[in-house]
Amino acid sequence: MSKFIIQVNSAAYGNAASYSAYRFAKSALESGHSIDKIFFYQDGVLNTNYLNSPASDEFDLMQAWIELHNQYGTVLVNCVSAALRRGVMSESDAKESGHGHWNMQAPFIMGGLGELVIGIESADRLVCF
Amino acid sequence: MKKLCIVFKQPPHGTAHGREGLDLSLLSASFEQEVSLLFTNEAVLTLLKDQDPESIGAKDYIATLGALPLYDIDTVLVCSESIQELGLSEQELRIGVTLSAPEEIASHLNAVDEVIVF
Amino acid sequence: MILHLIQSSPEQSSALKTCLRYATQSDSILLTGNSVNCLLKQAWATQLKEYNVAALQEDVIARGLTSLLKDTKQINYDEFVSLSLKFNKVISW
Repeated sequence: MSKFIIQVNSAAYGNAASYSAYRFAKSALESGHSIDKIFFYQDGVLNTNYLNSPASDEFDLMQAWIELHNQYGTVLVNCVSAALRRGVMSESDAKESGHGHWNMQAPFIMGGLGELVIGIESADRLVCF
Repeated sequence: MKKLCIVFKQPPHGTAHGREGLDLSLLSASFEQEVSLLFTNEAVLTLLKDQDPESIGAKDYIATLGALPLYDIDTVLVCSESIQELGLSEQELRIGVTLSAPEEIASHLNAVDEVIVF
Repeated sequence: MILHLIQSSPEQSSALKTCLRYATQSDSILLTGNSVNCLLKQAWATQLKEYNVAALQEDVIARGLTSLLKDTKQINYDEFVSLSLKFNKVISW
């Protein structure tokens, strides 16, 4: 069994790559492999915006990531600098910068690019979407 | 330690790809990875002299390219085919780079551990 | 041995063009998302004949291309996962 790290670079809505990343991750976990973390970089951080509100009859990708975390404990990490530039903010980021609102919360967490690099170093395979 | 090749294929300034690719390159190098860069397609324009990105509201991340040796990023490959397609020559580039034919680039991509494309 | 992953149509991105410039005969190319459409175009299909090519079945079915692409090898996500480990690395262009 192998350990993957998965990098997601596209938004949750408007680009099929994030859905593909989710399906790949789910298949890998169901096949018994492990995932070091899902790392959201570039527009990928938009997967973690809690205010994403797809219509009720549409696939809810953010919810799907959360369920993956609930079922397998998959770590879901945002690149904090990519996130802040795109208006995705955790409660502590908001407090630090004097904003009264935030839109990112657990199980998604903020991290640095270093977590991607360390993840790549320790994983058997990196797959980017 | 892994050998990472960061590939730039998008032109600078119109999107954040180049900037975010360079951020990852420098960070990976500072985390002791063996980092190499490849510029291909219109991304070779990233290396042109005399750019003024701030005049269009973009960050001058180009200036950071000068710092690559400080991060021990010594291998910077530039696709000779892309240079030719754009009618450029080595003299127009701001940092010392190696012009590489597609076959040389292919063998470099084979030799590294992971490749991340921006 | 590299698995090249192409996710966008050549009309959207330079991914396929760039991949074909650097791919070698021992590599494989996996087409997903809109990139599966390129097989309908003679020029791309001819270039891809040189390589071991597969398309992600779900993306083919979703686009109504099953009979049009019946000569192309199609794989599911479980096979995609296995393929990504069989090769030395995956490059997502």
